[in-house]
Amino acid sequence: MAVPIRILTAVPICDGHDSAINTINLEFIRHGIEVIYLGYHRSVGDIVRAAIQEDVRAIGISSYNGGHVEFFAEVVSQLRKHGADYIEVFGGGGGTITHDDAAAMKRKGVDTIFFAGTSLMEMTDYVRKHYGKPRERTAPKSSGMQLARKLTEIEEAYAKGKRRPAKQIRNPQPAIRKSNVIGFTGPGGAGKTTLIDELVLRFLSHDPKGCIAILSHDPSVVGEGALLGDRATMINSQDDRVFMRSMATRGQAGGLSPATHDCLALLAQSNFDYVIIETVGTGQEAMPFQKNGIVDETVLVMNPDYGSRLQLQKIVMLDLADIVVVNKSDLQRARTAHTEIEQRLGQNRRGQRLIDTVAKRHRDPGVDQLFGLIAGNLSRRVGMTADLSS
Amino acid sequence: MSKLGQVVEAVEKYNGFVLNQVKRARSDKKFGRELTDRWDETKAKTPVTHTPTGLPLPRLALPEIDEPGEIARYLFGEGLPGEFPFLNGAYREMYLEPVREIETGSYGKKTSGDGAKEKASGNGAQPLEEPTRLFSGLMLAEDTNERFHYLTQHQRTHRLSTAFDGPTLYGIDSDADGVFGKIGEGGVAIDTVEDMVRLYDGFDLGSPNFSASMTISGPAPIIMAMYIAAAKRRFGPKVVPKLRGTIQADIFKEVQAQNETIFPIEASLRFLTDMVEFTTREMPRWYPISISGYHIGEAGSTPVQQAAYTLSNGFAYAEMFSARGIPVDQFGPRLSFFLDCGLDAEYIALARVSRRIWAVGMRDAFGAGPRGQLFKLHTQTSGRSLIAAEFKNNLTRTAAELMLAYMNATNSCHSNSADEPFTTPSEEWIRLAAHGQAILLEESGIFKHTMNMLSGSPGMKAVERAVEVAILDEFREIERLGGVLAAVEDRYQRSQIQSAAHRYEQQIYEGTRPIIGLNRYRNGSDDIPEVKLARTPRKKQQLQVDRLAKFKKKNAGKAKRALDRLAGVVDRGENCFPTLLEAVEVCSLGQITGRLQEVVGRFRPMV
Repeated sequence: MAVPIRILTAVPICDGHDSAINTINLEFIRHGIEVIYLGYHRSVGDIVRAAIQEDVRAIGISSYNGGHVEFFAEVVSQLRKHGADYIEVFGGGGGTITHDDAAAMKRKGVDTIFFAGTSLMEMTDYVRKHYGKPRERTAPKSSGMQLARKLTEIEEAYAKGKRRPAKQIRNPQPAIRKSNVIGFTGPGGAGKTTLIDELVLRFLSHDPKGCIAILSHDPSVVGEGALLGDRATMINSQDDRVFMRSMATRGQAGGLSPATHDCLALLAQSNFDYVIIETVGTGQEAMPFQKNGIVDETVLVMNPDYGSRLQLQKIVMLDLADIVVVNKSDLQRARTAHTEIEQRLGQNRRGQRLIDTVAKRHRDPGVDQLFGLIAGNLSRRVGMTADLSS
Repeated sequence: MSKLGQVVEAVEKYNGFVLNQVKRARSDKKFGRELTDRWDETKAKTPVTHTPTGLPLPRLALPEIDEPGEIARYLFGEGLPGEFPFLNGAYREMYLEPVREIETGSYGKKTSGDGAKEKASGNGAQPLEEPTRLFSGLMLAEDTNERFHYLTQHQRTHRLSTAFDGPTLYGIDSDADGVFGKIGEGGVAIDTVEDMVRLYDGFDLGSPNFSASMTISGPAPIIMAMYIAAAKRRFGPKVVPKLRGTIQADIFKEVQAQNETIFPIEASLRFLTDMVEFTTREMPRWYPISISGYHIGEAGSTPVQQAAYTLSNGFAYAEMFSARGIPVDQFGPRLSFFLDCGLDAEYIALARVSRRIWAVGMRDAFGAGPRGQLFKLHTQTSGRSLIAAEFKNNLTRTAAELMLAYMNATNSCHSNSADEPFTTPSEEWIRLAAHGQAILLEESGIFKHTMNMLSGSPGMKAVERAVEVAILDEFREIERLGGVLAAVEDRYQRSQIQSAAHRYEQQIYEGTRPIIGLNRYRNGSDDIPEVKLARTPRKKQQLQVDRLAKFKKKNAGKAKRALDRLAGVVDRGENCFPTLLEAVEVCSLGQITGRLQEVVGRFRPMV
């Protein structure tokens, strides 16, 4: 089985022209490419950090607002500075990038520029031909880069169908574990990604030295591409203290990828204060963290619109989650949802907590409460001395 | 039901009213007679003008009808120009060259153009303004200033339209990380009130012949405050009520299409309302919002989507301003609109229909008086319709679009330069674009003798009917989703626009949408033609960064106190605009944006 090509796409800072890149992203994934989309108005720093963490083959930049010669050159130069010049840079900007500009950009290390009139097929073919081959790389220059490459190794081993002999990182004992691992799951559209990003914001400001890892999942079919777009929404998580990795499920049901377990185990040993894992939007029967044994705390994020009361009985995670969040609690139905879920949790008699949030709202008190709860629970569990619950 | 639902009902009710008036005119003899008399009187009163060849023509052409029912259909359903429901025009007269020698005018006996113009503005009527308003902005403030003087050197009135560079549009400073190459690209770089002083240097900001338009939305209240502060620095505080112009400040379309939003939607709308409350009270000649379909169209919407989203956004703003307690007759007359004009058939009547729906909605759902019913429109020809391949064809495309825009009686117009697919337009192509308007309005006899020469054809009527039905359907869908704000947060408009854009590209790719020189009659060469590019030199970019550093150093202490005050006002939920006015004296755009984002958060992109 071929290993999918992973590339990162983005639109430069001060540029909101995203219609071209949206079309191109869809074309790429239709041809088996996994695209990590960073969104528009993105700085060089964000792009380079994401490319290294995601360990992509190439960065595609779509620029329509001028300043492209400097911007592309800066991306290349930052990649070099971080010892990541094995990541290629390509892009386009319709008629705004002239042939002279492109020549200057190539001299500065840009791989190729697509001009106005280039068909989607030509772009896809180029990416598959030039970024699909195995590559030679020198030793990683930073621990982040080393971690990123190890994750790639794990993912590729699973993609090739041979399970990696990963005994040393399977089911690590709590003693050698360094991170608190929190699992987020719930139906698609409940707001998991936004909620996590808001928690990251609170964590970063609460602990000025703390570090976080995020393992985020988006669905894909075996041998097909995927659009991994969580970074575009997670504006607070594009930070030097956050290591984020986006994974496609590559055909596995249940909300995670075949390689998730090993990747998570690796992250859990890697000196982060927290490791957050986010599943894809899941169905009623899903219990993604059960056999895993690494996740310390599970959070189920619910949308108030789950249907009839009877539907609640079928959601397995309601029995298993440590914390249940009703997000979008500003919606009309949220009050009813809170009452019904509260009653449902009462049946379990497990002391599960129920919290209402509006993650999209800045400084939402519900999210504050959730942050305090998670921080408090975990510091108790592993005997952390720091008090994170304020 | 939100106000939008009430607008749909109002339009349906008004259409019913028109049909009833038609019936009544036919059955009620007295009413029918009144209408016929009024019709005959209007015709008799219409001035006659003479073309250069001596042909007499009426200044206003009316349909050749004499049956009371049809007269009722015209007068109530369309209205004479300047009369409710304003289908034919917001004002009584447009584009007409000044009347000369009306009764006796004969071939060969005409005054010179300039003399006639002076006469027109001296006879007590509103001084005529050229509809030309060209968008420009490049490099640093002083460079754009020079361009403004060049563009207006032969104009009676100075109507400037300002484009800002990327960092300014996103509310960040020129010294921000990684934006150096973008300083002055695609628009002018503005960081401080000092830049704003330089930008309009030499223009009399308080003059009735001057107006400034500023195309910026995300940080609009901050830029507006800088403009006011700059005007005060140059002309003293008494200039404020005299300021004329427009600032775009359209948050909804940013979220729906253009992606230049910097605060969360609700906070953005609140800052906007703060500004509108201030300007509609203190600056009665200022348009604090330009409700824009242009960017929706450019992002790939269909023409109907463009009109429907623009109008519904407008009604949503009206609802919001009313909720703040601003009287409808205070803000209503200060709303203006901005539409795209492309080559699709809908554009024959898109603005006409929009004008009618706006008038009926504002009158019947919001209780607006006559001045608050006017859909005052600026049109720009479609940038998306211009392509790089054989780019000189773009002159023809723009000319056809201009023609459609004038057939819709737009109040002002920007014609795109043919070199726009490549970069900020260069002077040569800007000049040709401006001349395109002059050729249609001044050289040709299409609009200057009879203001509605091309209106009211059966084809145009057919488009009007179809477009109105489709717009109301869109309104119903938005209403079903809970109104404009709910639909925006649901990404409804955004998804619809993206899907339309995708279909458009698909049609070009398949060849079902012919684009000459691209998928039809292609000459086989993919070369980008030699176009002189207007790029900002590094030296200038560095100058801007240095100036900003000096400003920040000079004001460091004061800036901190001003920002603290601003944060406090915002936190307490008070109108923050007066505090912004103080803050811009000592703070840069980026400092203010940054501090506001700490208080209200950043916009989370919708993907």
